[in-house]
Amino acid sequence: MEPRGEVFVLGLVLSIIVLVISVMISVWARRFTRNLGDYYVAGRSIGAVNNGLAMVSLALSLTTFIGLTALIIEGVYIAVAVYASFTAAFIGLMILAAPYLRRHKSFTTMAFISERYGSKSLRYMSVVVMMVVSVLYLAGNLKGIGIVFYFLLGVPEVVGIVVGGLVVTLYVTLGGMYGVTYNQTFQTIVLLFCLMFPVAIVLRTLGTSGWFFPPLGYGDMVPDMISFVPHYFWAMLEHPITYIAIFLGSFFGIIGLPHFVMRFFTVRDAREARWSTVICVFLVGLVNTTVYATGFAAVYFMQTSAGVDLTPAAYDYMVFILVEALAGEGWLALAVAGSVAAGLSTVSGLLMIMGAGLIHDLYGEMKPEVDDEKKLKLSYLAMFLVGVFVILFSLNPPEFILKAIMWSFGIAAAGLGVPIVLGIWWKRTNKYGVGAGMVVGSLIGFLGWIMIDYMGMNPVDIPFPFFAKYLYGPMGWIKVTVLAVTFSFILTIVVSWLTPPPPKELQRQVDEMHGWPDYDERRYNSKGLPISILVVCVFLLWFMTTLYDVFPK
Amino acid sequence: MKDYKLEVWVTTICFIIVAITGGFFSSFVVILNEVFYNQVPTPEALVAFYGENMFVVKENLFVMGFPLHYFLLIMFSWIGVTIVGAIWCLVMDRLEERQKA
Repeated sequence: MEPRGEVFVLGLVLSIIVLVISVMISVWARRFTRNLGDYYVAGRSIGAVNNGLAMVSLALSLTTFIGLTALIIEGVYIAVAVYASFTAAFIGLMILAAPYLRRHKSFTTMAFISERYGSKSLRYMSVVVMMVVSVLYLAGNLKGIGIVFYFLLGVPEVVGIVVGGLVVTLYVTLGGMYGVTYNQTFQTIVLLFCLMFPVAIVLRTLGTSGWFFPPLGYGDMVPDMISFVPHYFWAMLEHPITYIAIFLGSFFGIIGLPHFVMRFFTVRDAREARWSTVICVFLVGLVNTTVYATGFAAVYFMQTSAGVDLTPAAYDYMVFILVEALAGEGWLALAVAGSVAAGLSTVSGLLMIMGAGLIHDLYGEMKPEVDDEKKLKLSYLAMFLVGVFVILFSLNPPEFILKAIMWSFGIAAAGLGVPIVLGIWWKRTNKYGVGAGMVVGSLIGFLGWIMIDYMGMNPVDIPFPFFAKYLYGPMGWIKVTVLAVTFSFILTIVVSWLTPPPPKELQRQVDEMHGWPDYDERRYNSKGLPISILVVCVFLLWFMTTLYDVFPK
Repeated sequence: MKDYKLEVWVTTICFIIVAITGGFFSSFVVILNEVFYNQVPTPEALVAFYGENMFVVKENLFVMGFPLHYFLLIMFSWIGVTIVGAIWCLVMDRLEERQKA
């Protein structure tokens, strides 16, 4: 897609309105922040509806507008699989972790891991893992805001990155978690409105009978999709382990991504944590099916409209191309404003967790004598510095949005997701096991990203002993997630078993997280869970090495 | 231990349902995919990947405008998991009340 030669005034005005309202909300919310607990977890006062809406905006980053549609057009069925699994993963997060984390009373994922396993070293290690996954996730989104400004509004990309970055840094720094939460709620409403309505208009113009509700319109377009791309829905073009990798990355990655988990520390109680997730998953599914509809509409549009010849590079902007061509500039302005809101919301959540990680988990642990008032002041400063660092990093990020985010899911799943799940459901998990699993799991994911994505090596040639040749096929690198997560589980369980059990006071936390007023040794201590996980992991590693000759290389 | 077992079993069952149908099964085989496409993943079929008659879609398998397998995908990965999640929440709400009592 060629950048606009002139400034798109209406789009720019709406985008600026979104930015200004975001700052105003934070200025308003600042009055609620009186101490460190208010700043990081909004005084644990957020209700289910508010938290559910805020989580939606975290989930629907700029990839919703840029990236996913391209993946649907190019990626055959696997693109839908990624988002189907991502939608369901929220319920996995709820069932395995959300209410239990809320009862633990930590501020962050890193604090939870440190306190549950009684180890300062684990806190430092998890801060490092958090920084890696957050930067991967964040830079792509901020870069995306710059691209929206450049291609759609006619404003230089650098201006977009700097303005968007400064606005979000300003409102996160000023408003803390209260500001972030209310902003994310506002941005979800903007995003839903600005995506659903323009897409509905596009579907109506294309003559779909279910246009008024995009998921139905998407159903209408499936037969056309099959006639244009006959192999689209044939899932078996990929080795099944690819889908298992998507499942592992989604389900455990979402538990490991600290900016999602941090939302559960802000709610009033475990019940609110549960119901906020149900609200979130319903809305995330609604938006994802709307984006599928957009992808299908794009294929239909390209196949049926004379004179439309788009390059693959333009697929990233198909939402906007479709809206401009079939709905008009007014709707395009709305879609652009929605995409800016989507980018801001994700960036704000990530900035928040990075600031909290550095001050609360790193500085606070090294200097426990520092009082909360000083930590609060330092938090303002840290948040601002992190924001500036990310703006500078985003000017030339190593990777753009969706791929980087998928890698960060894999690393988070192995490095943080596994320790959280086992810490909640198996008392016998100890710091030695978690240390081994976290280091090896996250290193497998991180080295995979460095070699395949950053250095551009062919996945089947990377020096992963024995397994590399099985990373073949379209998006074969996703299978690295299987290695990272299974090795993390295996090492955590085996090393925990081979080393002394954790002290009773740490095991007691497990019962407390599950809401029991008393302690019972037998609860969450059976051998069934770890043995089942080990069997499944070993099976998955074996399965990855099978069917080598069946699927395309 | 009765309530503990209830929590563990309900959680296990709900997680397995969500993981298999919403997270894994629907994203992998799209619910009995091969039944609707009359195809199995053989090397010969993959050679024919670019052919014209590889995908034979059975007719009359549409629900609310969706091909049946896609209807099921949406039901499981979106509406289905939302309902399973809500049921789990209700059970846990009741369990929590009993714990507090």
